[in-house]
Amino acid sequence: MSEPTTASAEAEASTEPDFLTASDLHAGYGQARVLQGLDFSVARGEVCAILGPNGAGKTTTLRALCGMVRGRGSVTLDGTQLLGRSPEQAARLGVAHVPEGRGTFNELTVEENLRIGAHLRTAHWRRGRAERAAVAADLERIYGYFPKLRQRSRQAAGSLSGGEQQMLAIGRALMLRPSLLLLDEPSLGLAPLVTRELFEIVRAVNEEERTTVIVVEQNAQLALDIAHRAHVLEAGRLVLSGPADRIREDGQVAEVYLGVSVRTGTGG
Amino acid sequence: MSTIVATLATDRARRPRAALTALLAVAVAVGAPFYFAPFQVFQLTMVLVYAVALAGLNLLVGFGGQISLGHGAFFAAGAYTAAVMLDRYDTGHLATLPVAAAGCFLLGLGFGVPALRLRGLYLALVTLSFAVFLPPLLKRLEPVTGGSMGLTVDKLQPPAWSGLAEDQWMYFVALTVAAVALLLARNLLRSRAGRALLAVRDNESAAEVMGVRLSLHKTLAFAWSALFAGVSGCVYTWVIGYVSPDSFSFVLSITLLAGLVVGGLASLYGPLLGAAFVMYVPSWAQDISDAAPGVVFGLLIIVVMFVAPTGLAGLVGRLRSLAARRPTRTTPAPDRTPESAPDTDATSASESSAPPTPADPAPADAEPVGAPPRTEKE
Repeated sequence: MSEPTTASAEAEASTEPDFLTASDLHAGYGQARVLQGLDFSVARGEVCAILGPNGAGKTTTLRALCGMVRGRGSVTLDGTQLLGRSPEQAARLGVAHVPEGRGTFNELTVEENLRIGAHLRTAHWRRGRAERAAVAADLERIYGYFPKLRQRSRQAAGSLSGGEQQMLAIGRALMLRPSLLLLDEPSLGLAPLVTRELFEIVRAVNEEERTTVIVVEQNAQLALDIAHRAHVLEAGRLVLSGPADRIREDGQVAEVYLGVSVRTGTGG
Repeated sequence: MSTIVATLATDRARRPRAALTALLAVAVAVGAPFYFAPFQVFQLTMVLVYAVALAGLNLLVGFGGQISLGHGAFFAAGAYTAAVMLDRYDTGHLATLPVAAAGCFLLGLGFGVPALRLRGLYLALVTLSFAVFLPPLLKRLEPVTGGSMGLTVDKLQPPAWSGLAEDQWMYFVALTVAAVALLLARNLLRSRAGRALLAVRDNESAAEVMGVRLSLHKTLAFAWSALFAGVSGCVYTWVIGYVSPDSFSFVLSITLLAGLVVGGLASLYGPLLGAAFVMYVPSWAQDISDAAPGVVFGLLIIVVMFVAPTGLAGLVGRLRSLAARRPTRTTPAPDRTPESAPDTDATSASESSAPPTPADPAPADAEPVGAPPRTEKE
C-alpha cells in the first residue's frame, strides 16, 4: 500500500504545488481572537513545524484546520475548502488530528482505539471482506511502527504510559489513512528520550507513506530536526517562515521569537 | 510482556470454567420455575422484565455516558402499546412486541434530539419531564388508554402443548426475551456503532476528529435504549395484564436509574443484579420495617454504594479477582469478558413435565421511594 520513497521526499516537496494553503486565517474562542490573519502553505508530503511561544495560536491553528474551532478566511486542502466544516467532515476529507494531551479512549483497549481510527472506512453495511482485510493490514502496519502497542493491544488505553498513549493517538490517526496529519504538542509531558523516539517514528511515517504532517511544538529543536519547513507564530501572527534548516541556523531570530536557544536545544 | 503471557494463560485456563459457569446458570434459570412457588416465579419473571429495561438504560447511561431520568416513559409507552393493541384490536400477544419495539425506537430517536445539545444535569431535567408529563397525558387520552382506570387485558396464556402453568410459561417467555436482549446489547457494543458510542463517552472531541458522527450515535443510543425499555414494558403488560397511568409515575424512572447504578453501570450483567435489587429489596424493606420501608430501601442503596461504588457487578468482579489472587492483573476494558452474559442460550422453553401449579400471583409491584441517584458516570 505504501511505496517507500525516502530520499526524494524533500526534493519533490518543493516542486509540487501547495497541498494546503491558508490565507487570511482568523480564529478564536468567543470574544478572544487568537489568530489575526495567517497566510501560510504546506507542500504535499512535507513535514511542517509550527513553532512559537505559549499563547501564540499554534494549537488554535491546528484546531481551525480540523474544524474544532470556527475559522474565518480560507484554508484549502488540495483545492477543497476546509473552513466551515465539522471535525467529522474534515476527517472524511483525510485530516487526522492528534489532539493536545493525546485524547485516547482510556476505557477501550489499545486495539479498539485503533479500530475507532478506521471508523470512517468501515462505514455503512458494505463492510466487505476486502475492507476488513485492509483494516487488519493497517493494524499490522501500525504495530510495525509501534511494536509496544502490539504488546499491549488488549490492555485498556488508560493503563498505558504517557509515551505509549501518544503512540496510540498517532497510530489511531494513521488508521484513518490521512492525507494530512496534525500533531499537537506530541512531546507534552514526555521524557526527552521517548520524545525523540516518537519524532523518529513520525519522520519514518512521513517518508514511507508520504503523509503530509503539520506538527505544533514547544520544543523547537526536535521539531526542526524532522521538519522540512517551519512557520513561527507570535501573538496570532506569522513572524517567520522558511525551510527548517535556515530557521535552525538563524539562531538569533529563533531566540528572539521562540524564547529558546535552538542551538543548544534547551527548549521546552 | 510477562503480564501478557499471564493474561493469555489465565484466559485459556478460564475458558472451560466459564463454559461450566454458563451451563450452570442456564440449568438454574431453566430449573427455577419448577422449584419455586408461583409467587416466587412471578417475582423472578419481573426481575427478568426489569433487567431488559435496565440493559437498555445501561446502553445509554453506562456505555453512552448520557443520562435519562425519563425511561419510565418509554417503558410505559411499550406497556400501553401492548395493552391498547390487545384491548382495542385484539391482536395476539406476540404481535404487540415488534410494534412496541419499533414505536419506542422511533420515540427514542425523537426524544434523543435534546441529548444533542444538553448534557449532565440539564439533560437529566429534560428527560425527567418526559416521565412527568406522560401519566397526565395517559389520563387525558381516555378513549384510547382507558383514562385513570387503566386497561385490563388478557395475560399471556401457556399453549396447551407446553403443559406449563401460567406463571411458568410467562417466566420462560421473559427469560427468552431477557436473554435475547442481553445478547443483543452485548453484540451491539462490540459492533462498530458500539465502539463509536464508547469512544464518544470516553472523549467526545477526540471521537469527533476521528470522524465519529456525534449526533447520529448519541440519538441512536437513545433510540436503542428506548427500544429495550419499550420491549420490557410490553412484556410487563403480558405478565401483569393491567396498565394504569399510576403504575408509570416518574418514580419508576428514578427506580430504574437507581437499580442500574446499584447493579453496576457499564457492566453486561449489572442490569440483572440491579433488577433483582429493585424487585426484592423493597419487599425485604417492608419486612424489616413496616412503618418506613422507603427509609430502609434508601439506606440499603447508600450501603451498597458505599461498599460497592461500582455497583454489585463491580463487587462481584472484585471478589472474583480477590479469590483468584492475580496481582498482575491488567485493567480490563469494561466487561468484555466472554463469560459475562450468563444465561445466553436459555431459550429452550419446551419442557413438558411440569407439576401443575395454581397460578394467580398478586401483582406485588412494590415501588420504592427513590434515593437520589448518582447523576452521571465519570
